[in-house]
Amino acid sequence: MDLLGDHEENLAERLSKMVIENELEDPAIMTAVQTRPVLQPQPGSLNSSIWDGSEVLRRIRGPLLAQEMPAVSVLEYALPQRTPQAPEDDRDLSERALPRRSTSPVIGSPPVRAVPIGTPPKQMAVPSFNQQILCPKPVHVRPPMPPRYPAPYGERMSPNQLCSVPNSSLLGHPFPPSVPPVLSPLQRAQLLGGAQLQPGRMSPSQFARVPGFVGSPLAAAMNPKLLQGRVGQMLPPAPGFRAFFSAPPPATPPPPQQHPPGPGPHLQNLRSQAPMFRPDTTHLHPQHRRLLHQRQQQNRNQHRNLNGAGDRGSHRSSHHDHLRKDPYANLMLQREKDWVSKIQMMQLQSTDPYLDDFYYQNYFEKLEKLSAAEEVQGDGPKKERTKLITPQVAKLEHTYKPVQFEGSLGKLTVSSVNNPRKMIDAVVTSRSEDDETKEKQVRDKRRKTLVIIEKTYSLLLDVEDYERRYLLSLEEERPALMEERKHKICSMYDNLRGKLPGQERPSDDHFVQIMCIRKGKRMVARILPFLSTEQAADILMTTARSLPFLIKKDAQDEVLPCLLSPFSLLVYHLPSVTVTSLLQQLMNLPQSAAAPAPSNPHLTAVLQNKFGLSLLLVVLSRGEDLQSSDPAAESTQNNQWTEVMFTATQELLRIPQAALAKPLSIPTNLVSLFSRYVDRQKLNLLETKLQLVQGIR
Amino acid sequence: MNYMPGTASLIEDIDKKHLVLLRDGRTLIGFLRSIDQFANLVLHQTVERIHVGKKYGDIPRGIFVVRGENVVLLGEIDLEKESDTPLQQVSIEEILEEQRVEQQTRLEAEKLKVQALKDRGLSLPRADTLDEY
Repeated sequence: MDLLGDHEENLAERLSKMVIENELEDPAIMTAVQTRPVLQPQPGSLNSSIWDGSEVLRRIRGPLLAQEMPAVSVLEYALPQRTPQAPEDDRDLSERALPRRSTSPVIGSPPVRAVPIGTPPKQMAVPSFNQQILCPKPVHVRPPMPPRYPAPYGERMSPNQLCSVPNSSLLGHPFPPSVPPVLSPLQRAQLLGGAQLQPGRMSPSQFARVPGFVGSPLAAAMNPKLLQGRVGQMLPPAPGFRAFFSAPPPATPPPPQQHPPGPGPHLQNLRSQAPMFRPDTTHLHPQHRRLLHQRQQQNRNQHRNLNGAGDRGSHRSSHHDHLRKDPYANLMLQREKDWVSKIQMMQLQSTDPYLDDFYYQNYFEKLEKLSAAEEVQGDGPKKERTKLITPQVAKLEHTYKPVQFEGSLGKLTVSSVNNPRKMIDAVVTSRSEDDETKEKQVRDKRRKTLVIIEKTYSLLLDVEDYERRYLLSLEEERPALMEERKHKICSMYDNLRGKLPGQERPSDDHFVQIMCIRKGKRMVARILPFLSTEQAADILMTTARSLPFLIKKDAQDEVLPCLLSPFSLLVYHLPSVTVTSLLQQLMNLPQSAAAPAPSNPHLTAVLQNKFGLSLLLVVLSRGEDLQSSDPAAESTQNNQWTEVMFTATQELLRIPQAALAKPLSIPTNLVSLFSRYVDRQKLNLLETKLQLVQGIR
Repeated sequence: MNYMPGTASLIEDIDKKHLVLLRDGRTLIGFLRSIDQFANLVLHQTVERIHVGKKYGDIPRGIFVVRGENVVLLGEIDLEKESDTPLQQVSIEEILEEQRVEQQTRLEAEKLKVQALKDRGLSLPRADTLDEY
């Protein structure tokens, strides 16, 4: 009698505890947070808890007898005895049937499983599966949450259900900065319960067990409010999620039904966490969706066996006949297909789609622009622009915290998948100069140049990317971005010219070394647009000075012509003085007109090279432009130019015709240029020599 | 249900007849019954098809489980166009014989080539020092 009364009292007590508004008061959760698991709290209550809920009992018994062992996490063993009214009702209670403490606790290792990872799902009756995971729709309706087991306790909401409440502030705040991420791995594992969402570790049995949990992050993501904001975070790092429950937040946790003041503050936080989130990027691009719809329509057509379907239709229908007659069809269940599909989707998650999937993103952007342009022209019905959200995962810092047992000194450090141990200490030793041979020195120098090229290239790629980032960033961040960009451009220039602290750049050697390498030349061509005019002019002058050498080195690669276009662009911005000196450098004209050298191998080399000749012509053309456009220019400049031109024409006349290169383009004003400085006869000569008149070519 | 359009996924190929080329050169034809995340395949009613010249022969093999990394490529077979081929089917014995003959001629040609190179003082790298790929 007494016993019965006791039971009833306990039951009543527990029932009253069922409706708990504040998770912190929930003993089940609080006990889970303790580091030291309590072994056998109350044998009395243990018994009563088992025998109280008959449903619970049945479920425990069933799987035991069938010897089925779904994937479990070891934390079940480490946990203290939980009351069955714990909010984990959604989980498969058959896990409780397994022996306790048969495996070691989690110490930084991934959780031990009774069933190996990657086991296909067993045949379990599964309620509706969340298809939204695989084909997320842009405007998402929260998936229905059928309670797996009848919830006799009315209003009680498990953490799972809490997750799926729309606009829950819990969802909007997956990384509450206030929550210190210092749960020990044990605690974290405990909180994770059965729902780990790590790629490759998923087994569909888990997957099926917690449909609510899995579906909800997506629900949150697709939540229209968050949609406009930033993120689809398909994979909320579960620790962060649950951590919110357990660790006392600084503010009182809002009750689940309350809506947050607005998406603003949460999104602010999100933004601060991950400034690079781009709301437009998708993992299933709108183009894909169109393909999807097309295919769906096709299938539908064939299914209906339209008359005008044609051969394809009949083929499809016969194919479906085959399927119908095929007794071995559907050996792979829908659930299993979804499981594989989910894993493949997870592999598409990325923290930075533009980094991981550059070509894909750009290709589909281009397609979109194309179709947008067409639409503008055609003025047809506006296609619905469905923007799907990429499951962008924020970068997580997984810091390993070594486990510490109470009462012991020091911490255990175990090497595991999550924190690998350093096995080899690779130290770079630099050699002394003496023992190296000349060859090695040359080789090392070349290697150093290659390293410099690589570093500068990285800077270049970053700088080129700034435009895109600029568009995505907020107002406050933009000045900082600009600063960064400028800084990087400066470093690029320093890298190119050699970082000498002195005023002058005494040697061109560094630059010339870079230009000897094919990649270096292409890189310089790409960098030029970013440099200031003076810096670019400097580069140009250096190139002109060492042009014959570069031409010789370029004989195999033939990459110099790629530099012509940025150089020409630059030349058309140069002032007269620079152009004059540039011409001098290029043609290696003697400084004084008095003593012309007998031969001018520099000029010969330049003229015999496609790039050299083209550059020369461009420079001449620019000079001509300057002269003709501004006759009232400073006389000194004018004089200089005229002098240089005289010598130039003389040199050109002297050069033998043979083996002149074919320039990439011939500016049109050269005839008028030369006509100023030479008489008719020589003009004709020059024309024929340089093939300035179109007809001859 | 459509799975991940625009990506390469085998899910839509399930229960269809496929031709699978393996890394060791074998050609398998069978119904794709099951896959997993590594593209391991389960082929049902599999037939190993040996091609020699214009002839081919089928060896029925039953159920194959192929480890994903060994697959070079696979493609769906159009059941209606399947019989529409210029190739001639022969019996297993015959095709095996043909294969043997072809193997032999190839080896002899190889030997001649190596000999010719040796005569000229050149040498081909030995097969065991080459990578498999």
